[in-house]
Amino acid sequence: MVTSKVTPAAGVRARPARSRSLRGPLGTSGLVVAAGLIVMSFYAAQYIGSVVLLAFTYAIVTAGMAVQIGFSQQIAFSQSVFMGLGAYGVAVLNTNLNMPSLLAALAVTVASGLVALVLGSVVTRASGLALAVATIMLPLIAVGYLSSAGYLGGSVGMPLTGSLWPASSPQAMAVGNGMITVAVIGVVVFVASRILSSDIGLELYVLGVDERMAAAMGVSTPRRKLELFVLGSMFAALGGAVYAGTQLFVPATLVDPTAELSLLMMLFIGGRRSILGAVAGALIIEYVSGASTWVSVNILVVEGVLITVVLLVDPEGLAGIVSSLAARLRRARRAGGAAADGGPAPAGAGSAGTGHTGTGSAGTGDAVAGVTPEEVAAADRRTSAFGRSWQARAGGRAGAPLLECTGVTKDYGGLRVLDSIGLSLPARGLFGLCGPNGAGKTTLLGVIGGSVPPVAGRVLLDGADITRLPPQQRFHLGVSRTFQAVHLIAGRSVLDNVAVSCLSSHRSSLAAGIVRSRLAQARDKAAEALDYLGMGRLSGMEVSTLTLENQRMVEFARAIAARPRLLLLDEPASGLSEPQRERLKEVLRTVGDMTCVLLVEHDLGLVAQITERIFVLASGQLVFEGSPEEFRNSAVVSSLLVGL
Amino acid sequence: MKFGNLLIAGVVTGSIYAVFAVCIAVWYRVSNILNLAVGDFAMVGALGVDYLFRVDSWPLPAAIATTLAIVGAFAYGYDQVVLRLAQDGRRRQEGIVITFFFTFALSFFIDGVAKILFGTDVHAAPGLWNGNSLTFATGLHLERAGLLVLGCALISGLMFAIYIRYTLSGKAMEACGENNLGARIVGIDTRQYRRIIFVGTAMLAAVFGIVESPITGYTFLSGATISVTGFIAAAYGGFQKPGRALVAGIAIGILEALLGGYVSTQYADTLMYGILAALVLARPRAMGFESAVGG
Repeated sequence: MVTSKVTPAAGVRARPARSRSLRGPLGTSGLVVAAGLIVMSFYAAQYIGSVVLLAFTYAIVTAGMAVQIGFSQQIAFSQSVFMGLGAYGVAVLNTNLNMPSLLAALAVTVASGLVALVLGSVVTRASGLALAVATIMLPLIAVGYLSSAGYLGGSVGMPLTGSLWPASSPQAMAVGNGMITVAVIGVVVFVASRILSSDIGLELYVLGVDERMAAAMGVSTPRRKLELFVLGSMFAALGGAVYAGTQLFVPATLVDPTAELSLLMMLFIGGRRSILGAVAGALIIEYVSGASTWVSVNILVVEGVLITVVLLVDPEGLAGIVSSLAARLRRARRAGGAAADGGPAPAGAGSAGTGHTGTGSAGTGDAVAGVTPEEVAAADRRTSAFGRSWQARAGGRAGAPLLECTGVTKDYGGLRVLDSIGLSLPARGLFGLCGPNGAGKTTLLGVIGGSVPPVAGRVLLDGADITRLPPQQRFHLGVSRTFQAVHLIAGRSVLDNVAVSCLSSHRSSLAAGIVRSRLAQARDKAAEALDYLGMGRLSGMEVSTLTLENQRMVEFARAIAARPRLLLLDEPASGLSEPQRERLKEVLRTVGDMTCVLLVEHDLGLVAQITERIFVLASGQLVFEGSPEEFRNSAVVSSLLVGL
Repeated sequence: MKFGNLLIAGVVTGSIYAVFAVCIAVWYRVSNILNLAVGDFAMVGALGVDYLFRVDSWPLPAAIATTLAIVGAFAYGYDQVVLRLAQDGRRRQEGIVITFFFTFALSFFIDGVAKILFGTDVHAAPGLWNGNSLTFATGLHLERAGLLVLGCALISGLMFAIYIRYTLSGKAMEACGENNLGARIVGIDTRQYRRIIFVGTAMLAAVFGIVESPITGYTFLSGATISVTGFIAAAYGGFQKPGRALVAGIAIGILEALLGGYVSTQYADTLMYGILAALVLARPRAMGFESAVGG
């Protein structure tokens, strides 16, 4: 997951949270509105005004796409269809029922939300490419339907008479329509940037990077995917409604796949993860296509070349280019003033506010090899605020086991990977799970964590049956895990990576992200966990600049930051050097006092030294269970694992 | 008889979809890039030959050879300039989504150029094997062009299958997409394979455009439609398995013909896409959609 992209880290926790989390979105939307108002006040009836108006209409759609497709990577090709739904909806309501266009636009947007809810609950069951393929059918279906739908004007389109702002003079109508469009785009940009910069935005980012990891961190992925689909569709319908109400004609080509591609072009030229970029992309394409007769005739060639060049320079589009230029400028200025102020400057937090993460191309040369966690005494750990709150949560019923697995069985095809495994763990302590490669260790962790459904058997947590619960619900019950290969969110700071598991937004709706953001609280909690591990000084760094040890430690911090009752660690020591292993052992010992840890590890020495009980799996069967002492002396274990 | 004729028509259109699906799948296997411009190469093949033959009155063989050479040279140049910058540089651009957009852009570009050169009317390359449609004793009809299409599809499909299954270089080609770095470590020039297959599939697409266009006729925008259908067929093979893509392509062609013949000509496409979408949603795993979009 960690790529070589280097990005200004998002978030430095010292700043007051509320003002900053609001200032970004307000500033972004203020900028768009101010620019729009100036244009509409002076040029509404002129050519440039009509270009900006049309561009803003498309920008309403692309802003939603930046949230859904760019930021959360839910590739749906259904925007043009919903844009058509909005546009035709307004046309029909206006022409047939004489409803004022403005009212019709609102009604149609709400109705489209409902349609998207129904359609989305089917479509968003698919992920990744399946989602893309399933939704690419929608414009194809719509085109086929429209071409024969006479009452909608067939393959030509449908005119309407009522504009958004009905006025007698064309001048007044143009200004009125322009002002309404500017107001709509202002709201849309604010809502979109606000969601992206909130705690839910962080959830969406993780969802975009890796859906399985998001689920393991408590994100209710099916719900978020559906919400994203509805949001994207409603913005598209709103854009379509504004289109109908300002252009006074709905062309049938609005819904065809080419229109969908044009929208995607706008998004990707501007910068797929940036709201401002999405608006800028729409403006640029609309401006360029009307710039001269030659260009408007050959618009396909121009667009093709333009997007190729922009993507070659930066895959994050113009927004990425601008933000990496800004980062370079900041670095140059900092280098100038470095002698004066000394200490490391905080990594730029600006990009979090506007929603895009940019890709400052600082290169991997910045890798911080030397930074190691500070030493924290075990006693200090226990008495720290984090340690105390963790101990308070770990609790559990006295004497009763925390985790009980009975008869857990898993087949892959015809291969039995786990054969009727039974194990039971108490509320506290360190437990080892060993076995040769392919024994089923990671599968068993998956069954306990919820990512692998067993074919038979039960998993009980604190007496409650969790066998059928999805990973995100188990996370809320206190099950937390790390992955065998490091799974971090590239492009985000250490603090944000850890904050992912401290979010309290999992149960709130996407809309709640507009009203409030509790990202600051999550970051505070994450900072406590980092301090607990002595990693506070790493918190502002971008994760892909870290060494493997520190990346593993960040993943470990993320797993404990939620104060889990059951911690599942998949080979935390692999790839670490001897001194690094020593440090890990020391940390694990104190963690074992707080909570129940199940540790999958190939380093038998490490397991035998720190755990109190060891389970050995071989070919899917539990072949040994006992104390480290028995483990060392067991003939079964030596023949299996040591090869004697 | 109606069923038999519909079936024949379906297999002919289906084999076109199948060939484009195979082109997309094979190149995806090598480069992990979905090529949405493949249909545009077909369009250039058809309209290019038509232009040289009809407007510039070249002899047909020369027109065909020149068009194919131009398509090949253009594909080679595109790989050398754009794909090299995007993929072989210091910052390799990965992730299906971004690389997908390079081929979108390519498709836009080719369509735009074709519009300037060939105009917006429907044209077709001249038929290569003219005459009445072949009639079998039982009343089944098969157009000569259709037979040509089937023949070409069969030959190219077989060639790909033999190449991948039985030759060492076919195995090496598979390795490129499976693990690019790993393939390079064991001495496979993955960039060379990416280039060869890209140029090869572009020229193959152009050949099919030339052979098929007498049946349907092409405009400068036809490429996108062909690509999308090929893309959908390839998707049913998980973009990885050319064999499944081939079957899916033919099945889609037959489905389209049967829906058009028995249900409604007007809503055949609408219905077909609805059925295809339902299939993806009902059985994503079985349809080969395990891969997720990343980056």
